[in-house]
Amino acid sequence: MSENHPKRRFDISARVVADETVVLDLGAAQIHQLNATASFIWNRCDGHCTVGEIAEKLAESFDVDYETARQAVRTTLHRFDELGLLDSARQ
Amino acid sequence: MRCAEPATYTLVAAAYGEMQDDASTIDLDYTVGQNGADAAFYIARPGQKALTARDDGTFLALFDKDIAIELQKLRRDLYFVHAAVLTRGEAVMLVAKPGGGKSTLTWALLHHGFGFLSDELAPVDLDTLEVHPYPRTLALKREPPGSYPLPRRTVVTSRTLHVRSVPGSVVKGPTPLGALVFLNYDPDATGPKIRPLTAAEAGARLYANALNPLAHAGNGLDGAVRITAAHPCYELVSADLSATCALLARTLEPSE
Repeated sequence: MSENHPKRRFDISARVVADETVVLDLGAAQIHQLNATASFIWNRCDGHCTVGEIAEKLAESFDVDYETARQAVRTTLHRFDELGLLDSARQ
Repeated sequence: MRCAEPATYTLVAAAYGEMQDDASTIDLDYTVGQNGADAAFYIARPGQKALTARDDGTFLALFDKDIAIELQKLRRDLYFVHAAVLTRGEAVMLVAKPGGGKSTLTWALLHHGFGFLSDELAPVDLDTLEVHPYPRTLALKREPPGSYPLPRRTVVTSRTLHVRSVPGSVVKGPTPLGALVFLNYDPDATGPKIRPLTAAEAGARLYANALNPLAHAGNGLDGAVRITAAHPCYELVSADLSATCALLARTLEPSE
């Protein structure tokens, strides 16, 4: 996973419901449910925020230390990547 | 529907008799029957190539599939879900994979005060969140456990058992949705279990069972989320049928 600017694929639909997110990848015929933490990270995969910035915001919002947040962000982004949800050209 | 010979008429009446109506307008025009030569069943509609089936079970399965598709074309405004629907005041949608025990549990729940809205198709009005009835006869793939025997009038085909009279009431009008239950059958479960689902998890599961999501806004994602966000949703792991019914009935009791 690159340290750069993760970005959601533009052709993926997502809807937020009560802090969680439903992500529809029609191209892959898959639908995913993101928990609150993954939703927080997903929403910041905008191609502008760096991994470090997302981790900082996560640490602040979820009241965890930066290293824990950074590890959670990296693990989650890795999973997004495995699922093909990120725009690989921007990672 | 036109059907000239009695054997096919009996079969169709067994499966769709509850839908019989003296409608003044015709939305779908079917002619069904059996060919004399090879006794194959046929399903014909004006302007369409006739479908044929070698036996009664295949005939009803083909007819089921065809009518489900045509209804989705006729009522694109409705959000069709592959699910059974029972009523207990409000509608309870039972969603499961094919072969997941949906019809068997439906049959059992009808002995526990639930009414019958559908065994197969749940057309939801996304504006009112009401479920429309689809009272095709309850069709089981196999005999239910002994504590829920089938009535004598059950029609047996090569694939299915069609229950012509159910113990609960058959609801014939749109009914407000009250809850969604996603059914999992676990042969190794020692007892039934139920847990609430978040709207997001239920939304993802509901979408996976939607039949015409692409006819709706946001490729159907908006509809799935609207339905699950507005109602309690559960995952039910079924086991012993009586215990599963009792657990579900208790869960759906209105809280004081």
